[in-house]
Amino acid sequence: MRNVITGEDGVYKTKSASRYWDARLKCHIVKILPGEYAVGEAGEMIVTILGSCIAACIYEKVLGIGGMNHFMLPFEKYKNRSGENNVTDYKSLTARYGNVAMEMLINEIIKKGGMRYNLEAKIFGGASITDTSTDIGAENIAFVREYLAIEKIKILSEDVGGFLPRKIYYNPTTNDVYVKRIERANAGDIIVAENACRKNIKDKEADGKVYFLDT
Amino acid sequence: MGKKILLVDDSESMRKIAGKAISDAGYDVTTAEDGKLGLSKIEKEKYDAIISDVNMPNMNGLEMVKAGRMFASNKYTPVIMLTTESSDEMRQKGKEAGAKVWVVKPFNPDQLLGVLKKLIG
Repeated sequence: MRNVITGEDGVYKTKSASRYWDARLKCHIVKILPGEYAVGEAGEMIVTILGSCIAACIYEKVLGIGGMNHFMLPFEKYKNRSGENNVTDYKSLTARYGNVAMEMLINEIIKKGGMRYNLEAKIFGGASITDTSTDIGAENIAFVREYLAIEKIKILSEDVGGFLPRKIYYNPTTNDVYVKRIERANAGDIIVAENACRKNIKDKEADGKVYFLDT
Repeated sequence: MGKKILLVDDSESMRKIAGKAISDAGYDVTTAEDGKLGLSKIEKEKYDAIISDVNMPNMNGLEMVKAGRMFASNKYTPVIMLTTESSDEMRQKGKEAGAKVWVVKPFNPDQLLGVLKKLIG
């Protein structure tokens, strides 16, 4: 069983992902929710439903290991005065949370012996599904693109933006992705789940826990 | 000249985030991209504090900290682990490796600077 993260109380915890056998697809489905990630094994498919959130699939091309996350950034305007996102601004909650969401997934691949220069990415999501003045989806897309550029991880393909939510099926051994558009009318649950996740992050300042080990 | 900090993290954006926070506070920051490169810096130069990630390719942060104690120049240099790992088990491993403080990402820059100030002023 793999570890996934959840944004409950703004604290990243590990728990077991929901995993079930899909008779039609003839594989195990690992379903991830906003704030979670999974690194898969042969015979598994990682699945998530996205609204304005981003799912990044990270693949180690030499080892043939891949994983997917589903992350939400805090509700915070983080573009600087010149309109650019700033992934490396330490004052930005978004930068720090977004970095960690990506790092946790990458770490699982590194732990399995992955090398950074073998990593490739596919990115999905960032739809405009709510009628708010801030286009959260667009900011999420900008964040992940900038992050991957700084980390020198090539984006092999992407399906981002637009107005429709997506269901993503990711095959972590072959790096194949199937994207299914979902009707907006059926997006209610997705919006609720994403908003709850964002609220969790917003409610808590990014206070990493500090432990003094010699006491 | 500020006090010298070695920052070891395999993520470039994390090196930039943490590095900028530390250098803005007046410390002199040197960075390394993994445990192996960090260790070669630990061997060659004395630092006032070492801040290191745990999960990195080539050599992880805990192995680096343990190995770094062999070098007289940094035998007693305080070490802060800055990591996404938060389990008791991993923290115990950090303690065994000789780290003094364990900071869980996403970290608050003010907290990290507070820890540095407490350790080395």
